[in-house]
Amino acid sequence: MLKAPFDPVQLAIPFFVLAIILEILLGRLGKAKANYETRDTAMSLSMGFGSTVAGLLVGGVIFAATVWIWKHRIFTIPMTAIWAWVVIFLLEDLTYYWFHRISHERRFWWASHVNHHTSTHYNLSTALRQTWTGGVAGTWLLWLPLTFLGFPPAMVAIQKGISLVYQFWIHTEAIKRMPRWFEAVFNTPSHHRVHHARNARYLDANYAGILIIWDRLFGTFIPEIDEEPCRYGTVKNLGNFNLLHNVFHEWIGIAKDVAGAKSPREALGYVFGPPGWSPDGSRDTSHTLKARWRARLEAEKASSAP
Amino acid sequence: MDKALLIQLGGSIVAVILLVAFAAWMGVARATPPLDAEAARALLTQEFPEHRPNAVWIAADGAGVIARAGDLALVLWRRGDGYVARDLPWSAVAALKPTSGRLVVRLPDARPVFAVNDDVWPPKELA
Repeated sequence: MLKAPFDPVQLAIPFFVLAIILEILLGRLGKAKANYETRDTAMSLSMGFGSTVAGLLVGGVIFAATVWIWKHRIFTIPMTAIWAWVVIFLLEDLTYYWFHRISHERRFWWASHVNHHTSTHYNLSTALRQTWTGGVAGTWLLWLPLTFLGFPPAMVAIQKGISLVYQFWIHTEAIKRMPRWFEAVFNTPSHHRVHHARNARYLDANYAGILIIWDRLFGTFIPEIDEEPCRYGTVKNLGNFNLLHNVFHEWIGIAKDVAGAKSPREALGYVFGPPGWSPDGSRDTSHTLKARWRARLEAEKASSAP
Repeated sequence: MDKALLIQLGGSIVAVILLVAFAAWMGVARATPPLDAEAARALLTQEFPEHRPNAVWIAADGAGVIARAGDLALVLWRRGDGYVARDLPWSAVAALKPTSGRLVVRLPDARPVFAVNDDVWPPKELA
């Protein structure tokens, strides 16, 4: 009940490796769109490795907190019931949606998540570009209510793993579109390309883990359009391939801003405001970038109208 | 640390090295030919959609662009198989001094180097 009998992510690692090799080969043979830049790939895979090590360091604290919550649970939900797996699938995916949304829309959590988005490529190695500071950011707390409700920690861990494994294959340009019914319900390469795009049109969209229905429900869904291909990375792409800079740059940015804050309110804004927030509004947020993009679009339409 | 974990971590490091080597060997990075005037303009429009540069200079090796839009310098340089964009005050860029055909722009997170002919800076295109 406490410790998962297996870890879907560990089991999937050989598949990850083979899939990356296949994607590179398909790209080389011109059979699929796949670009790998050596230092970018090294950064992504090193992030994946480092994330595993960082997970080991904070794993004890997370496990202890989970055990404590489990001891104070409301119900005891059986791990053997099919209905329980259906419910955990939906609830875990909904939790993931909100974890992911907060990780983009509030700077404290963005600082931990940004390094998943710093690649200017979109390939299967990008999926492994995982955070090292998620434990510190405390986003794991969002999953504790599931345990409090009575889902065994092992069940939650397995479902989280399944979600992570699902999200691996959608980090590719090799698949253009899935069948329409699939695109309507599930997160797909097309939906997730939008999520990784830095075009103003596509910012802050498609936070889904497995089911895209959450984005449709909460108004954050944006479809990929062929007329505007996705350009990947962050609004302000990193200027170097330094691994540690990638991991810590936003945390350092927060620290510098807080140190220079003129009031506690400003400091709070720098930490918990949207990424790019500044007291005088002189920096760009997703919101201002999108507003200016819309204004440019309107101006272009007006000037081209007969 | 138990032995199985050490083996797993060691195996992961080897797998990372082999995959990176394989990607490098296959040569599937994006093509980045030297920038010409058209490509530089397209890149500037994409990265700085709100600016209309009045002068554009392309580095001698075609791996970077510096454009001037009023008091701003719009800087683009090749990083890997893509480009990174920054804007900074034109006065700061104009005050730089190239040495041995290299103009180094000092930024908080990078030191892009631009190839300059004859160590003349600012070039006539931007002056």
